[in-house]
Amino acid sequence: MTTPLTVTRIAHASQLITIGDLRILTDPWFTQTATYYHGEPVARGVASLGPIDAVVVTHEHYDHCDLDALLAGGFDPGTPLVGPGTVTTLAAGKGFTDLHTVEAWETAGVGDLTVTATPGKHGVHEVTFVLAAYGRTVFFGGDSLRIPELDQIPDRLGPIDLAILPVNGLCIRPAAFEQVVMDAEQAADLTAVLQPTLAIPHHYAFHSGFLGDRMITRADQDPRHYTDALARLAPEITARIVLPGVEVTVPTRPVVTGRRR
Amino acid sequence: MSTTIPAGSLRPTRSSSITVNGAEVAVADRDRTRPFLLLHGGAGPATMAGFADLLAERTHSRVLVPTHPGFGGTRRPASLAATTDLAATYVALLDALDLTDVTVVGNSFGGWVAAEMALMDSPRVSGAVIVDGIGIEVDGHPVTSVAGLEPAQLAQLSFHDPAKAPRPAAVGGAGPSPDLQALIAYAGPAMSDPTLADRLGRLHLPVHVIWGESDGIVSPAYGRAYADALPLSTFTLLPRSGHLPQVESPEELLGAILDLGR
Repeated sequence: MTTPLTVTRIAHASQLITIGDLRILTDPWFTQTATYYHGEPVARGVASLGPIDAVVVTHEHYDHCDLDALLAGGFDPGTPLVGPGTVTTLAAGKGFTDLHTVEAWETAGVGDLTVTATPGKHGVHEVTFVLAAYGRTVFFGGDSLRIPELDQIPDRLGPIDLAILPVNGLCIRPAAFEQVVMDAEQAADLTAVLQPTLAIPHHYAFHSGFLGDRMITRADQDPRHYTDALARLAPEITARIVLPGVEVTVPTRPVVTGRRR
Repeated sequence: MSTTIPAGSLRPTRSSSITVNGAEVAVADRDRTRPFLLLHGGAGPATMAGFADLLAERTHSRVLVPTHPGFGGTRRPASLAATTDLAATYVALLDALDLTDVTVVGNSFGGWVAAEMALMDSPRVSGAVIVDGIGIEVDGHPVTSVAGLEPAQLAQLSFHDPAKAPRPAAVGGAGPSPDLQALIAYAGPAMSDPTLADRLGRLHLPVHVIWGESDGIVSPAYGRAYADALPLSTFTLLPRSGHLPQVESPEELLGAILDLGR
């Protein structure tokens, strides 16, 4: 029997992923500041997360690595935390004790869960992740740019059940509109390569405040641009736009004979 | 200062029961209104009213226009004796109203108050718009003193086209008006703070500095110096406008605020 795989988006890139009895929290972000707004409800507070077997963090930006909120909310700092060296160094300073540093193509084992860092690129050092347990596999794209190295994932790590990708194409205005996150078209293109059973976009409702949106960041806040692009590029892949708090059960992979490329 | 939404808590949905037509209606209120706080200058809240209407109608935003205590016949407590006191009062007002993502827009003296509010690191304030503001000291570009000026002289300095100046209300009695007394109580006789420009250098909020090209109170060069003092600022010069763009060219001011970065 296939192990159940579910995902519940808490907000932005914070996802609660369950594979069987394993519960994994990604890129936690629970609070707000003057120039960081979720732009959508935050579906769960720290206190109602339930037991967490592993936290995976792609990079140290506040909207992906709100460790202060976790700790203030009573989160156990002994929970395994997996991330690149930039993140685990930061987490160690905040009191997290069970740290697993992984850089691109390195793997950490946390109980029955295998976390492989896959390449990423952003304004700061970032990795993405492939999470695998009990024969189910999730690609977690954080808020990375679309880079060619990501195309190696199916060959290196096998088929993907669930792909979670950023889609807002965030640009930094004071940095000559440097793009730091993949946009809808690029996310759809990557999805076509990964060939997941289900694809879910995230990282699009976020805003920087009225002036911040005009002076600091520029981003696409409409996730339909992703599903539209995917319908064009890879109509065979199912994509779902999910509101925060909605638990999605990922269908079982169809049996495929021969190697899928 | 703590973050607005306490760590680990959910964004609030206000639930209440309201009795109308004999029925108790349970209402879950999700308010994501984008608020603006408009701060008037020495000429009083009337100079903000028309622009507040325009901003609220055009952007479907919540627009708050407080009257600075001491203006318009209101009482100024002795404890409010500096621009920073007024700024702290308005930060507390945002707390009391539980507003977030507030864009503070200030004209003239109100621009100084907006700058001081931004410096108070309230997580409720996400940006500021300073329109022909005062407050900093710029070598070679003094703020024109308005004390003792006739209304016609003031209009000449304040407007690109003085014919667009509203008719001054009949002023009774001699000596400075209560509004002017309140302004001096906050801003001091120099209408500036020599430490402000340096303090603005540590601000990490986006600030849009907008200036009327024909401002005779504080020159466009002073405005550029204001923007230069702010690490994250954009400067926009409004043509055919003076010290009160929200009165003289409100549509152009609104366009400058809304179109920024397009």
